[in-house]
Amino acid sequence: MSAAASAEGADNTEGNSEHGSEQHAEVDEATGDSPVRHALRRLSVYILRNWRYYALWYVIVFLYSAAMNTLPLAVGWAIGGLIDPAIDRATVIDRCWLIAGLAAAGGICRFVSRLLVFNAAREVEYEIRNDLFEHLQKLPQSFYFRWRTGDLMSRCVNDLNSVRMLLGPGLLSVAQSPIIFLGAFIAMTTVSVKLAILMMLPYPLFVLMSRVIGGRLFLRSLAMQQSLASMSNFVQENIAGIAVVKAYAMEDDQSARFAEANEHLRTQQLSLVRTFAAMPALTGLLPAAGLGMVIVVGLGEISAGRMSTGDLFAFAIYVRMLTFPAFMMGFAISLVQRGASAMQRIDEILSVEPSIADRPGHADIKSLRGAIEFRDLGFRYNAADPVNSDTANERDAALEEINLTVPVGTTLGVVGPVGSGKSTLASIIPRLYEVEDGQLFLDGVDINDIEISTLRSAIAMVPQDSFLFSMSLADNIAYGLERDAPEEAIRTAAARAQLAGDVEDLPFGYDTLVGERGVMLSGGQRQRTALARALALDPSILILDDTLSAVDAETERRIQASLDEVFAGRTVVVVASRVNSVRNLDQIVVLDGGRIVERGTHETLIAERGLYARLAEEQEKDDEQSRIQDALQEAEGVESADAGAAAVGGGMDGAGGGG
Amino acid sequence: MSSGSDLEEVEADPHEEEELGRAYDGRLLLRLWPYIRPYRAQVFATILIVFPMFALELAPAAVVAVGLNQILEAHDLPGVEAPAEEGVRRGNAELIEFFGPTLEVVTEAPAGFSSEIWLGLIFLVVTALLTGLTYGHQILMATTGQNAMRDLRRHVFEHISRLQMNYFDSIPVGRLVTRATNDVENVTEMFSQGLVALVTDVFKMAGYAVVLFMLSPKLAMWTFAIVPLLAFAAVIFRLKVREAFRSVRVKIARINTHIQETVTGMKVVQLFTREQRNLADFDRMNAEHRDAWHQSIKYDALLFATIEIATGITMAIIIAVGTGVAEAGIIYIFIDYMQRFFMPLRDLSAKYSVMQSAMASSERIFEVLDTEPGVADPPVESPAISNENRGRVEFKNVWFSYFNMDESRGGFDENDPNWILRDVSFVVEPGEKVAFVGATGAGKTTVIKLLTRLYDVNRGVVLVDGIDVREMLQQDLRHRIASVLQDVFLFSGSVARNIALGRDDLDEVAVHRAAKAVEAHAFIDRLPEGYDTEVHERGSNFSTGQRQILSFARALAHGAHILVLDEATSAIDTETEAAIQRGIHVLMEGKTAIAIAHRLSTIRDVDRINVLKGGRLVESGSHATLVAAEGHYARLYRLQSQASAIADVVAERA
Repeated sequence: MSAAASAEGADNTEGNSEHGSEQHAEVDEATGDSPVRHALRRLSVYILRNWRYYALWYVIVFLYSAAMNTLPLAVGWAIGGLIDPAIDRATVIDRCWLIAGLAAAGGICRFVSRLLVFNAAREVEYEIRNDLFEHLQKLPQSFYFRWRTGDLMSRCVNDLNSVRMLLGPGLLSVAQSPIIFLGAFIAMTTVSVKLAILMMLPYPLFVLMSRVIGGRLFLRSLAMQQSLASMSNFVQENIAGIAVVKAYAMEDDQSARFAEANEHLRTQQLSLVRTFAAMPALTGLLPAAGLGMVIVVGLGEISAGRMSTGDLFAFAIYVRMLTFPAFMMGFAISLVQRGASAMQRIDEILSVEPSIADRPGHADIKSLRGAIEFRDLGFRYNAADPVNSDTANERDAALEEINLTVPVGTTLGVVGPVGSGKSTLASIIPRLYEVEDGQLFLDGVDINDIEISTLRSAIAMVPQDSFLFSMSLADNIAYGLERDAPEEAIRTAAARAQLAGDVEDLPFGYDTLVGERGVMLSGGQRQRTALARALALDPSILILDDTLSAVDAETERRIQASLDEVFAGRTVVVVASRVNSVRNLDQIVVLDGGRIVERGTHETLIAERGLYARLAEEQEKDDEQSRIQDALQEAEGVESADAGAAAVGGGMDGAGGGG
Repeated sequence: MSSGSDLEEVEADPHEEEELGRAYDGRLLLRLWPYIRPYRAQVFATILIVFPMFALELAPAAVVAVGLNQILEAHDLPGVEAPAEEGVRRGNAELIEFFGPTLEVVTEAPAGFSSEIWLGLIFLVVTALLTGLTYGHQILMATTGQNAMRDLRRHVFEHISRLQMNYFDSIPVGRLVTRATNDVENVTEMFSQGLVALVTDVFKMAGYAVVLFMLSPKLAMWTFAIVPLLAFAAVIFRLKVREAFRSVRVKIARINTHIQETVTGMKVVQLFTREQRNLADFDRMNAEHRDAWHQSIKYDALLFATIEIATGITMAIIIAVGTGVAEAGIIYIFIDYMQRFFMPLRDLSAKYSVMQSAMASSERIFEVLDTEPGVADPPVESPAISNENRGRVEFKNVWFSYFNMDESRGGFDENDPNWILRDVSFVVEPGEKVAFVGATGAGKTTVIKLLTRLYDVNRGVVLVDGIDVREMLQQDLRHRIASVLQDVFLFSGSVARNIALGRDDLDEVAVHRAAKAVEAHAFIDRLPEGYDTEVHERGSNFSTGQRQILSFARALAHGAHILVLDEATSAIDTETEAAIQRGIHVLMEGKTAIAIAHRLSTIRDVDRINVLKGGRLVESGSHATLVAAEGHYARLYRLQSQASAIADVVAERA
């Protein structure tokens, strides 16, 4: 019984899903499985998973329907006693007790029913949110190039909210109304079959109404959500770029653009309201029609002596009783429409297959020693993807014919001009981007056959942008470590990254909260924290992707010295724009246009007098400039008594400029 | 049921336990009034419509009662002959007396109509009118709310844009976005669902109560006997639900912050294989949020069921008390109106929640609006500039700190370490090119920020074109100065838009000319759609070097006569570096230029170098003079040459 009831509950949503999808198909020329249908099929999985809630709920709905639909009969019976002088007061009062009892029973059922449905909706919301989060963590970098953060957030927050409304009040009303109406109809036929049929006659119109209005509602709420999201994005950008807005006196222009987006949003919202309000207004007509029937037919029946006054009361109570469910049905249909479009937007994320995932038959290795081999590797960013910053103009291949071996425990330097593919080369080693089979091998195993968790735990990488999380400095450094990492490990890593000195100057030392994206720290401090985060691990392979651009040359030299110690026994890949950072490494490759154009050691490459030698020469000239800076920097540190002020000012400058 | 939008505080600081609870605050409503004021005619209309709506809602029951009485009287059926008792109205004559002669006129069936058909027709008309009015009322209400909130949203946006820079240093971007979007949404919801609905409901409930008391005080007394009990329940409910909702909101804010941060830092999450641990943390937060909801769901369902039971019990009471004293028609009216009276109480919880979040939102909105722009425009037009001063920049004894230096309390403390600039004075003559050098934190960037008046000085004066920057409109000032900032921010939109930056007078020709001059044209031309290519979020489809060159094109296109340049330090390949140097050259041509220089080529190019140290201007002169002067600059220059030579040797040995 309970299983059947739950299936029925699910069917009911399916029924509505078909509804929505058909509406959608008309405009979306979807062939086969339309997006909405797909989304709702996914939703039904969650509902079925919680079938116990829904099964129990449906039993309660039947009890509720029975209690509530007997109540008008009891009222009619009591009224019959009230107007009949032959029946004494005590008898009427007994009948009134029946009314009160039925009301109490109905109320208790109602309480349990709402509790069950709304809690189930929360449970499903909880599950979807967990799954969304888990899924997002699986999606590769290419996904995050395509999707704006604001858009993702709006789906995780607003749309999930709408789905919950679908499952709560939406489902509650859509699924229980038929039971209540059926119960009411059966109860009414015991009084007057004719009037019962007449009263129920207008309700099928409801299906027509919801079809006409529902489809429109779906499209309009979709349009409204989009316009809200685009306004949000606009505001976000304006604030993130406020320094430029002010510097170029763009306020008026930005205001005008905002006014446009704002007006557009208002128009969309009003157009939604016009449809949204039409639904309850129209559904309100249905019980009104019922009351009309009671007046015309009921009074006629009474005067013909075929019906009693008490029966008329019973019908009138039914009319009022059905008013709320009918009204709620209209509301629920709009919730279902809105929820369906929201679920579609969530489904769009959940349906993105993680292109980087473990294979069913992956190799059985639990650790890596760190031998890297590129075998005739070629790589191109998906044409649909915005390419990453290093390869702005490289719509063609980002890397071509890369053949390279890095033995265990040796160091590799990668240099080359902007857009030559250096970062790409570094990023595919931890599989941030997908390469085809047979191109990249670690310890002789195809990288695609290695479990991702094994692969990435063996690698520590310092990416170009030093993103920090808004936790304490210690938690940021220990980010890759187990929970409750020993303090010693954190301190050692900080010392190696030349961060320990800065930490002492911070107000709460290692417990200092670094703020959103690390805004409380200066650019150089952020980079060194990111470095410390990688050095805290004990990786077989260490990758530094142009890590120290915002660190001054002197600190960089000190870091280099401590890095030599860290490098010992590990495979190291250093990506750099400047030859200085790679000159002491075992092997250096020079990339240009995605190909290796030179390879060797610093000495052999200088002797070759090729691109590397030219880069080195140019840099020699630049070095003079950095010396002045360094000199000033160092003298400041030694001589100035205002080191604290300098640090604070530096942080401020960083925060102001970083946006 | 509905608990308003959960989106609020997407970015809330998880450590901020927001003060949330009140569902009504007169002070806040008063402050919202100016936004409603322009639409007060509509507001007045929405209130007026409630009266005919109420009258039309009274009508159906009266019609049924009259019809019932007519028929019972005509057929001499039981139900009319109840024994008379003081205070209970009976029969149609008395009902008509009560509801007015209109009822008599409309219920008197004209010839050719049977009484029930006629009453049915009247009922039809009443229903049609009521439906139309209700729909119109809703649309009017929504339109008014949306119009007012559009104005509020725009006000919030423009106010935020006007705030001074250090405001943005201290508040996360997302939180400000929430103010202009979701917080305003919440207030809108209050208008359409909360406040107006609440006022309408209260009015109608009072109306039904009054009508019932006038019809029969005794019956009415019994009808409302349960109300004090309900009122007590409502108070308890309010207290319980307030805490439940608050807890839910704090928890959802945490969840959303966590998602946002994980999404932005996904690369790091994946590189450090933090997925499992993140998921565990997330699951905990998510479960806490769900459990917090269980509380408020419980109270909500309890309230809903209580009202329903109360309605049923009251129905029983009416019949029991009415037995033997009232006739059918009046009982019908009582049951009908009583049900209408209790109806609005059922979704009180939803309305309460809407009001509560709207109050919290408007409080937050006003917090932003109450922040005075620290840098404000003078009330008058900018003074005209004289020709000899055009392009002249001067700092006179400037003191500045990013902190609020309360001089009134502690007096003026020269040695306070929070001063970023200390008594800085310099002049840049028209057409002169000056570089600022100094360590991080010496105050170089601050000089630029004060010059463009992103901040105001604490003491002293900054003069541009011979005029105190505080006496100029900020727009005017910034039209005179072209800034190239270290961090190049690109807006979404086309490349062309990113060069023109909202200046309508910069046509395609001007944009191309600027781009060509700084060698940006070549790489823009190679883009798939040239100047119309869309820039991705934060310009991620351009390299650092390209972004810098684009910012040069920007500065050049704007044609200001003063150039402010904060050179980027980031390492760039040689080829791009050369292009950047040529670009800087082009930019400086014929302008007064102030540069925070990192490149030797730039330092050599300038007429003068100003050396900043610990917020003070310690030296000033050309590279040659400064080296010859054997001062700070020269000493450091030599010292460092030796130091770096030693460091190189050490590095090679290691």
